Formats: sequence, C-alpha cells, structure tokens
Amino acid sequence: MTTEVVAVPRVTTTRRRPAGGTGDAIFRALTFLFALFVLLILCGVMASLVEGAIPALKQFGFGFLVTESWNPVTEKFGALAPIYGTIVTSAIAMVIGIPVAFGVALFITELCPKSLRRPLATMIELLAAIPSIIYGIWGLFVLAPFVQEYIEPALINTLGNVPGLGMLFAGPPLGIGVLTAGFILAVMVLPFISSIMRDVFETVPPVLKESAFGLGATTTEVVWHVVLPYTRIGVVGGILLGLGRALGETMAVTFVIGNSHHIHASILQPGTTISAALANEFTEAIGDIYLSSLIALGLILFFITFVVLALAKLMLLRLAKQAGG
Amino acid sequence: MSLSLAKSFPPTPELPVRADVATVSPFPVKALIRDVGFYYGKYQALKNISLPLHDRRVTAFIGPSGCGKSTLLRILNRIYELYPGQVATGEVLVDGENILSPGLDINLVRAKIGMVFQKPTPFPMSIHDNIAFGIRLYQRLSKSDLDDRIESALRRAALWEEVKDKLRQSGLGLSGGQQQRLCIARAIAVQPEILLLDEPASALDPISTQRIEELIAELKSDYCIAIVTHNMQQAARSSDYTAFMYLGELIEFDETERIFTHPREKRTEDYITGRFG
Amino acid sequence: MQVYTRRRAVNYLVVVLSLGATGFGLLFLALVLWTLLVNGIGAIGPSIFLEMTPPPGSTGGLANAIFGSVAMTAIATLVGTPTGILAGTFLAEYARDSRFGEVVRFINDILLSAPSIIIGLFVYELMVVQMGHFSAWAGSMALAIIMIPVVVRTTEDMLRLVPNALREAAVALGAPKWKVIVTVTYRAAVQGMLTGVLLAVARISGETAPLLFTALNNQFWSNDLNAPMANLPVVIFQFAMSPYADWQVLAWGGALLITATILFLNIGARFLASRSSFNR
Repeated sequence: MTTEVVAVPRVTTTRRRPAGGTGDAIFRALTFLFALFVLLILCGVMASLVEGAIPALKQFGFGFLVTESWNPVTEKFGALAPIYGTIVTSAIAMVIGIPVAFGVALFITELCPKSLRRPLATMIELLAAIPSIIYGIWGLFVLAPFVQEYIEPALINTLGNVPGLGMLFAGPPLGIGVLTAGFILAVMVLPFISSIMRDVFETVPPVLKESAFGLGATTTEVVWHVVLPYTRIGVVGGILLGLGRALGETMAVTFVIGNSHHIHASILQPGTTISAALANEFTEAIGDIYLSSLIALGLILFFITFVVLALAKLMLLRLAKQAGG
Repeated sequence: MSLSLAKSFPPTPELPVRADVATVSPFPVKALIRDVGFYYGKYQALKNISLPLHDRRVTAFIGPSGCGKSTLLRILNRIYELYPGQVATGEVLVDGENILSPGLDINLVRAKIGMVFQKPTPFPMSIHDNIAFGIRLYQRLSKSDLDDRIESALRRAALWEEVKDKLRQSGLGLSGGQQQRLCIARAIAVQPEILLLDEPASALDPISTQRIEELIAELKSDYCIAIVTHNMQQAARSSDYTAFMYLGELIEFDETERIFTHPREKRTEDYITGRFG
Repeated sequence: MQVYTRRRAVNYLVVVLSLGATGFGLLFLALVLWTLLVNGIGAIGPSIFLEMTPPPGSTGGLANAIFGSVAMTAIATLVGTPTGILAGTFLAEYARDSRFGEVVRFINDILLSAPSIIIGLFVYELMVVQMGHFSAWAGSMALAIIMIPVVVRTTEDMLRLVPNALREAAVALGAPKWKVIVTVTYRAAVQGMLTGVLLAVARISGETAPLLFTALNNQFWSNDLNAPMANLPVVIFQFAMSPYADWQVLAWGGALLITATILFLNIGARFLASRSSFNR
C-alpha cells in the first residue's frame, strides 16, 4: 500500500548566498602558509649556516674539528677549544643542575604544603625569565669575585692536592673561567629541567603512589622505586632539554668564561665556548676565512643542539603517547 | 529546498510501523530517514535506520546508552562531518531533497536545521550577540529588525523577561537552565525548519528541566522537533512519536501512546518496563 | 629495626637535600634580583630616560638604547604575533592529526629552544649581508623569529583547550569553518593567546645575542630603521665589560630596567591566565 504525502515548506525570508566556501579555502591556505613558514625558517637557518661555513670547511677540512689553535693573524682556525669549552661547561651545568632540579621537583610535588606549591613553582620559573645578559653581569661582578676569593682557593687547597683529580683544580684562582661559567649555566637550566620533572611527576597516577605508601614505604622510596621509573622517559627528555639550552647559552657564558682559545685540564682556567666566541669576535672579524670559521662554529653548535633537542622532543612525545595510550 | 512531493514511504516487514500512520496523521512528513547507516572508521554504529519525522510534531528517540540515538541525530545536520573517519550512508530526505548528498552547500543545510546540545554552549559574547550570530550569517537586517528578532526568539524561549535588561552582558553569566534556553533561542532565531534536541535537559536541575519541557510543548506548533532523551518519562510526556533504538538498530517506531501502552517488540517492552537500560 | 632506622635516615636526608635544593634556587633568584636593585637603582632617574649613551668617562643616559629596544620589540611583535597565531591556528584547527602538522610542531619546538645567537647569524646572512649594512630592521626580524615559536605553541595549546561543543554549536547554525574560528574559537581562547604573546614579548625583551650582529649598536640617537640602532642589551654588554665606572653604573641601570619590564610582563601574563581559567 503506497501513500503519498505532501511536504509544505515554510515561508522564509530571503537569504543571500554565503561565501563560506571560498572563505574557508582562503583562510585555510593562509594558515597553512604561515605554518609552512615555520618549517622554512629552520631550513633557511641550516642553509645559510652551511653556505657561510663552506669556505672555512673547504680550507681546513675535517682538521677544523680537532685543531686547537685559533689565530686570526695567520688565519689558521680550529674549533677544538670552543667545542671543548661548550661541552665541559654544559657538563658542569648538568652535574650541578640535574640533582638540584630533581630536589626542587621532589620538594614541590611531594613534600611542600599544598598552599606553597603555586608560589614556589612560580618563583623557580622566574629564574627562567631572567635574561642571559643579567646572569652575565651578575656573574661577572658578584659571582666571579666571590668564587675567586673563597671557592677556588678552597678547591685548590683540598681537591687540588688529590692525585689525578687535582689536575682539574689547578692554577691560580681567577674567578672567571670554565667552572664559574658552568655554575651559572646550572642556575639557568635548573628551572627548565625542574619544570619538566614536575610536570611528569604529576602524571603518575595517585593510586600507584598510594599503594606504595600503603606498604609503609618512605617518600624517598616511593619516588625512587615508583615515580622515577614511571616517568623515566620524561625525566630524560627534560634533562636533554636542559642540556640543549646550556649548549646554546651565550651572554651569561661570554661574561665569565674568560675568552681564551685554549684547552686546559683545569676547570678553574679560562676557556671559550662556541657561542661566546661568536659573541665576542663576530663583529670584529676581518677577512673571509675568519668570518667563515666563525660561521662554521655556528653550524657545529646548531648541529649539536638540534640533535640534543630533537632527542629531547622525541622522548617527551613518547611519554605523551604512553600517558595517553 | 524545492517544493516537491516526497517519495512514498513503503512500510517494510521488519519495521513495525503502522501503515496508516502517514495517511491518517494531519501532520505531513518533514524529513524521511531512509536506510541510513553510520560508521566510525570500520565500526558500524547504525544499521538500516528508516523512519519519518512529522512536521509540527515531536519525535523522541529512546534507548539504552550507546544505542546510537545521538549518532542518528547528528547525521540529520551532518555535524559528524567535522571529524574525519566518520561516514554516513543512506538518505535523509527533507522536503524531498536528500541532505546527505555531497553536492549540497552544507552550511545552508545546517542553517535550516537547528540543534541544541546536551551541555549548554553559550558563545563567549553578550546575550544579544549570541543570538545575532546566527542571524547575521545569512541575513542583513536593520538594527531594529535585528532587535525585534532577538526579542521574539528570547520570548519564545521563555527567557526574555529574565534577560531583557542585560542583553549586553556575557552569556556566560547566566545559570545553566538560562544558558540552555539561550541556546534554544539562538537556534530558533534563524528560523529553522527542523529542531534537533540532543538530551537538552540532562545537564540541568529538575526545575529547569520542567521549563524546557514546557518550552518544547509550545515550540512544536512551529517546528518539526526530534529529541533524544534517556529519560523515558520525558519521552512519554512530551512526544507524539517515539523511536526505540538498540545496538544501532531501530527496533520500533510508533505513536508514543502506542509504544508505551502496547509495544509490539519484546525488547521495547523490556526497556520501557526497566528490565534493562 | 636497624634497616628501618636506616631507611628513615635516608629519607630524612633526601628531604633535607631537596629542601636545600629549593632554597638554593630561591637564594639565587633573590641574590640576582637584590644585586640588580642595589647596583641599578642609583642610575634610575630622569636622566636615564632623557640623555643619550655617553662616551667613556662621562655621564649620560640610555634614552637612545631604550627607544631602540622599544622600537625593535614593537616591530618584532607586530610581525611575530600574527605569524605565530595563524601558524598555531593551522596546527590546532586543520592539522591535529596530520603528518605535516606533526612535523611542524616538532620543528617549532626545536626552534623554541634553539640558541638565539644562531638566529642572529641567520638574519645576518639573510639581511645584513644582502643589504650591506646593519639595521634595526634586521634586529627586529631576528627578534621576530625568536618570538614566533613561542606564540605558535601557546596559540595551539590555547585553541585546543576550547571545547569542541562550542565549535559544533556554531557550525550547527550554518557558520562556515573560518567564521567559527575567527568569531567564536578565537574569542573563547583570547585571554590565553594574549598571555602567550605577553610571555613571548618578555622573552625577546632581554635577548642580546641576536642583536649583536644585526642591529649592532649606535652611540647616538637614531630613528632610522635602516641603520644600526642602539638597544639596551647590547649597550649593557658593551658598558659592563668596559673598565669605566660611569659606564658600569649605566649598565646596571639598564639591566634593572630590562628585568623590571620582564618581571612585570610575566606577572601580568600570569594574572591574565588565572583570570581566564576563573571564567571557564
């Protein structure tokens, strides 16, 4: 049995044709272009560094990486001293910064009263807001003299006498040098590492911690045996992020490292890092090879930080997938 | 949409629909859901749904959680298309035209079919602008005409008295029940032909719920209303037709009175009497 | 029992050490800020805002440097903000699950932490070499490039926080996607996005390295954007490293100004952020 029905449409007021279709296409293309632009910036950075570094790399070849001498007069340049300085100052920054950052993260997430959490976290984060140059002048005028007068003599008199290890703490107390630079870097990267650690610590499901506490474990044990293993990947990611930042820091290091293109065993001696060399010498550099060598230094720094930051990001992405999955 | 004759609606054997419902009812069919299916990726959430929605009548969709009633509602204004991987098959004929066909201007379709969601969603703007938003999309009205439309929409939504002095204040400042009525006013201000209500009162307190139900009873004189509800008493009270769904299929569709007094299917009866759900 | 006492002792030690670590961090924050205040406050006065940077051995102010910094920061913000917002919009509204979006996000986060001196080198090669001279334009572009990743990140995060129900409600009225984004989604996220912009501006206010070989420095007043322009960070660098006491005093004054601005912007951003979550 079939039926027929008539539908009566309502009378409506006139409607004009909307331009939604083309509007959508335009807006989408616009936002896409700007997103593409971000990619282009990175490609541009890489391309310009490579282009500028080629003359020096062609001239010095692989030896550039392992030559210590840096002589603008004879135009013989080697990157070993800046690379060494970059690595050593960052290493010192990590050795000091990681445990301190961990302590801060532990305190804020597990130990301090709830009402203090936000203010404490904010204050630690303010450390990250202070620009590099401020740490630089503070380092030069406040920290370096202090280190010269108290810390370095103490180190020389104690650890300086230990056979083997003493090599690291030899030399006259200058105040400025690799150790001071590494120390300031530690203070600068501390908020970054601690902030990521705090974030990942907070992702641990409370039931997990509660079951450990319920068995009578102390806070330290819960953190060591439950929280850290659970957040392992994120913690490593945070540390790598801090390392990436330490490697690239410029102004703070420039003020206190002493700017000497020499490698010393002792960390109390001056040295240089890639970024400090660039900051100090770039505007004064005369001659194409000098300039190109500096840009080659920049390329090396870019490469090192890119790898470290990419690793950090990969770890943090893995953690996000693990948490979400 | 053109003025045309709707296709005939043959009752299929598996579908316990009274064959004379369409002829006897003085309210014509506004929308015809024909063999509609729905897929979330590979998972089929809806199977062979066919039923009519009558103009100026309220059709309620009931069924246990996950039965697909909200999914079906969201097909009617193609809002699922915002999310990749979700596909609808079949036809939905509104005034004879299949709104699921890809050639249509989807925004125009949506302008004719209003939707109110479970959680009130006032835009972060003044009450006035909330309602003007939809109107301004497709019409250019003078200021006084616009104000008149806003007032009439708010009156119909039973909200005018409460907000007439604070039209310039943010919509977010209203209570939950008021926000939902604002959303209803916003939906009817664009003069839709069909109103889709997805559990409009489930996030509200009992008093607001009652006001919404009263509102629906008034609104049905002007719109074809489809309402999804998990509250059976609400369906029994407010609707003219009821569709019972279960596990993605339409189990039974009939006049509300019939469904709740003499259901044909055992599963319908079990659900209504509370044996599961 | 002995094991238990040892465990308790270890725990106590760790607690003390982490308290110490937090104290360490706070101590240095206080030290740096205190030093800035003590050494810099003497230089703060009308002259610092009215007089130009002096030659060594005489007194003066930082007017040209302040102007240069403000000007370049403003240009960088004008360029970087819309770029970052639009790119962030693409990531949040059109590319949540796409491969391209993942790549852009990855690269963006790397740029966010990349050494700013490298960005300076890039702009040097791109603009200074091409133009043949240092300029405030180059300095502004370097700052803009540093700012963009921050704005992209915060914009994407804030847009993602806007509930889908709001978008659906606008779409259900027949609004095209671009209109939904511009008139509803942006409005819902505006406070968060503004916070992101403020934080980005705070970040570039203190950046020195990218300006070292783009805008260089200028001893005199200049509002020629096509020439080297004085700016606070580079002036501080030059004056602080010098042996002249007058210069050093001005360096501290400039440092105090920069830090005060950054703290103000940071606290302002946090205040804004807390208000927006209150509204929700």
